[in-house]
Amino acid sequence: MAITMRSYKSGSIVYMEGDKSEYIYILKSGRVVLTTKKVEDKTWVEEKVHVKPGEFFGVKSALGRYPRDETAQTLGDTVVLVLTLADFEKMILQNVGVVKKMLRVFSNQLRKIGKTVREVLGEGESINPEVELFKLGEYYYNMGRPQQAMYAFKKYLEYYPDSKYASQAKDKLQQLKSGNFATSSPGVGFSTQTRSGQRIADENMTDFNIEEEDISEQSKPETTRSPLGGEMDDFLSDNKSNDILDDLTLDDQTFSEVSMQDINEIFYEGMRLFASGQYQDAVKLYERIINSKSLQGEAEKRIYEKAHFELGRCHYKLGKYNEALNTLSGLIKKFPKSTVIKNALLYMGMIFEDLKNYEKAIAYYSKAASMEPKDQTNRDAQNRLMKIQNSQGRR
Amino acid sequence: MLLDNPIFDKFMVEYAPNELIFCEFEPGNEFYIIQSGRVKIVKIVNNTEKTIDVLKPGDIFGEMAILEEQPRSASAIALEHCKILKFHRDNFDALIQGNPQMAYKLLVIFSKRIYDAKRRLMILLLEEPQLKVMDVLIMLAESDPHIDMQGPITLRCNIEEVANWAGMQINEVQKILTHFNATGKIELYNDRIHIKNIRDFQRIVNSRRKSS
Repeated sequence: MAITMRSYKSGSIVYMEGDKSEYIYILKSGRVVLTTKKVEDKTWVEEKVHVKPGEFFGVKSALGRYPRDETAQTLGDTVVLVLTLADFEKMILQNVGVVKKMLRVFSNQLRKIGKTVREVLGEGESINPEVELFKLGEYYYNMGRPQQAMYAFKKYLEYYPDSKYASQAKDKLQQLKSGNFATSSPGVGFSTQTRSGQRIADENMTDFNIEEEDISEQSKPETTRSPLGGEMDDFLSDNKSNDILDDLTLDDQTFSEVSMQDINEIFYEGMRLFASGQYQDAVKLYERIINSKSLQGEAEKRIYEKAHFELGRCHYKLGKYNEALNTLSGLIKKFPKSTVIKNALLYMGMIFEDLKNYEKAIAYYSKAASMEPKDQTNRDAQNRLMKIQNSQGRR
Repeated sequence: MLLDNPIFDKFMVEYAPNELIFCEFEPGNEFYIIQSGRVKIVKIVNNTEKTIDVLKPGDIFGEMAILEEQPRSASAIALEHCKILKFHRDNFDALIQGNPQMAYKLLVIFSKRIYDAKRRLMILLLEEPQLKVMDVLIMLAESDPHIDMQGPITLRCNIEEVANWAGMQINEVQKILTHFNATGKIELYNDRIHIKNIRDFQRIVNSRRKSS
């Protein structure tokens, strides 16, 4: 080890905030003051920390390879040891006690900063891990991911067996275990799920506010903001950079961030494939829409909802009844006010009819038939309902 | 860190693809070291599952549980068949006694986390929303070692990410970025942002930060 020793006169700067360096220091003799900033009442205040002989300084920024976030200045004649990262690593490996102490200090700092971040974000005490854990289960449940949902509900019941959502968690866990969580009848399971979903949603108002605001903003004609999709159009029509097109088709990552124009295109291409009987290919396109994350505004949201319905319909055509039911019931849970709910109910009825589960088919058809506003879908549902009832009555 | 010593066999847990290793908000008492397979770290943000990181063999996760019990801040999901060492907090001292290189690795992880959190605070404590957005872009540029801040730069990020870092709503961030785009400061694409002169942003943000 070639650790160098360096002597400084009083008032010398060892390093400045913002410097980039891989050196770590140990104070051998003299005094060093670290001037840093910390947050008090949401403002930065200066903080001075005195390094004691034998102590390390400059460790975090060197290890994390970040600019120094403090200034180190000497008070009185001072001698320091200068270590490279490699020196430091060797030294640490021989002295685990020092590392443990440092880890403790670091984790304390991290916890304090984390707390401040949450305070600034206004999340202070409002996040209740108990409720959040249940909501996580609900999220995966609604997304049709039973494995993850089961895990979250199980953990919820394990840690909070007597809490307010315990009975709901138990019910859902039971449904997931029996494997037919998406096939509850609209009369019973479906409506209670919507209600419980509503309750959760109420507690999670912020998410809903964002969406609501988004829509109202979009509908204002004088709004100056143009959606990103509009920007994309400009770039494409100007032919400023042709590589965007390549990116969109080649880069998997961009699939999740497809722009408005693409979403429309993908959706209608899916419809075309569906119409020509290429259900499997249509499935891929609808899944792409459903997996995209940055949908904005009412138009894109509507397509997103419709994509769920179309996906369910494709699964139905492919004879994948379970997937179809999962997708359609997921749609109903996620978008209870969507315009395609009625169609989703109709298709669920058709699936159950195919499965010869006439009781459920009747329940879904009646629900669809009774929904306002009345249109062709209601008549379809009504006709199918009557057909089943007649054939059932004859038996 | 790959620990192939048979002493560790009893700590080895295997996970199937898509299996949850732990989930967000669950109390945490164990930390993990991947021996094979990849693990996805995800968080639910605005009702969407967001991938924060993909970890590979040798990586450590769940390390916040080493010193005390805390609810997990994210979920860990096995991406493929994984073999993972799972250690309870109580075994930590014994473990690093025999594996000091792991302690070193943890120091690096904690150092990075502290810096990231402090940097985030610097963004959040700026008062004007435009400055917050600028500072997020600066932060993203700083955190990429391949970026030379002297010239024009391209950041791989989208509006949602910027909003998340800035602690702002997506539509507000969109408004600001669209404005930057219209005034020629940036070029906005759906998966990346091209910035002509990030040093300008730095100057503006630094001058405001000092005066506050």
